[in-house]
Amino acid sequence: MSERLVIALPKGALYEETRKCLAKAGIEVPADVGRRLQVLAGDGRTELLVLRSSDVPAYVEFGAADCGIVGKDTLWETDRSVSELADLGFGQCRLVVAARRSDGYHDGARYPTFLRVATKFKRSAQAYFAERDVACEIIALHGSVELAPLVGLADAIVDLVATGRTLREHDLVVVDEVGRSSARFVVNPVRFRAKYRAIIDVLERLQRD
Amino acid sequence: MKIPPGVRDWLPQEFAFKRDVEERIREVFRCWSYSEVLTPTFEVYEALERGLGERLMQQTFRFSDPLGQSLALRTEMTTPIARVVSARLRQAPLPLRLSYIATAFRYEEPQLGRMREFTQAGAELIGGTGTSADAEALFMAIETLDAVGLGDARFDINDAAIVDGVLASVGLSGDAAEACKQFVAERNLVALRDFGERNAVDPQTFEILVQLTMTRGRDDVVRLVRPICATEHSRAALARLEEILKRADAFGWRERINIDFALLRDLRYYTGFVFEGYIGDLGFSLCGGGRYDQLLPRFGYDVPAVGWMVGVERILLAL
Repeated sequence: MSERLVIALPKGALYEETRKCLAKAGIEVPADVGRRLQVLAGDGRTELLVLRSSDVPAYVEFGAADCGIVGKDTLWETDRSVSELADLGFGQCRLVVAARRSDGYHDGARYPTFLRVATKFKRSAQAYFAERDVACEIIALHGSVELAPLVGLADAIVDLVATGRTLREHDLVVVDEVGRSSARFVVNPVRFRAKYRAIIDVLERLQRD
Repeated sequence: MKIPPGVRDWLPQEFAFKRDVEERIREVFRCWSYSEVLTPTFEVYEALERGLGERLMQQTFRFSDPLGQSLALRTEMTTPIARVVSARLRQAPLPLRLSYIATAFRYEEPQLGRMREFTQAGAELIGGTGTSADAEALFMAIETLDAVGLGDARFDINDAAIVDGVLASVGLSGDAAEACKQFVAERNLVALRDFGERNAVDPQTFEILVQLTMTRGRDDVVRLVRPICATEHSRAALARLEEILKRADAFGWRERINIDFALLRDLRYYTGFVFEGYIGDLGFSLCGGGRYDQLLPRFGYDVPAVGWMVGVERILLAL
């Protein structure tokens, strides 16, 4: 395989599993890249860009990276046109609507006429409530969303849940599931053609058990 | 004073460069006997609406004149040309060869290679039928990119009838087939596989569709795909692609053209042959086109057509 591939990787929660997944595919990535943003993989020909997770789709859409690994939850929040070639199976979590147990929404209590929803997932939340014809105001936050219902900033939250521990700790319960997320292998549609063999090769190696 | 997002000024040196590229393109159009036309920058919204897919409609700059008439800036040139041809060139002998180099406008997030005002150069072969017309569009596009100095551009071709034929052999039709086609066009294998599972399509049969979405190559892939094309229509489309590859051979272009069975472009617009041209360095295509036999009939003139266009600013980025 002569073509050199540039792969965008997400920093943070998905990084360790992404690293393992690539290692299985024969692409060795350092466990800690420190402050470096561009790294050459152990095979000496795959270049890796280590990015903030939410930036991966942009790098791939522009072709600054040929392909990338990113959570489906990040793809929900963007318009970027990238091709989703594989569900890599790791990084599984659910995007859910959650609220205070005492409000009883999980038990069928009606939402207030005008629901206030705090979330980091503005687009997904908007789409979910629009589909169900629930009038709501989305309060876009950047972290610790679970605090919002406790202090009266919001009636409900839309957030990712892996084990459910955070919700329990704050006496919140799941009202409904918005979607299931996991890590995806995405590719730039034009690079898929321009570097066809190299991409198919990586895809096959990523998917082998 | 500021200018709005997504538009730009062209200063003398860069504008001279752009004009030079446009002249080279114009020369290729002349060699192929295409006559240049120009339509108004803005038109009555309803006229443009007839040609546009949903996405382009959302990206249309709309406004009203002081009398309340709903107007819109053109988002591309093919629809206005279809209007002109059906309204004013019906007596002209077919096929009609028309070209343009003009600005178009789309409301989208400005970024590299995607501006709100941009220049398109393109050609429409109206009344052109069969493989020869399809090949003419493709070969002209290749010559155009060669003429501007992009001899390393590569081209992928396809025919929408092929995925239809495979969908039929998988046993899908109607809305289910349309949904699958969209996933094929986006090359979203995850959604495609998920669709198969949810709709309980036999996994082995469905895998054929997944494989088709990933298949790209030359004559070798035609042999792979022929047995899974369930309709006469799709087999004929496959034969036409083979014929185009054969003709490209004679020009020494064989290595530059591949068949990509997931290349579908705008589903509402194109009715058969489609192609896209790109270079490896850019993450977006430079040019594209195909057969759009249903557009002129929407303006009341029942003739087939094939056309293509190239983004002039994208060429400048590639050079």
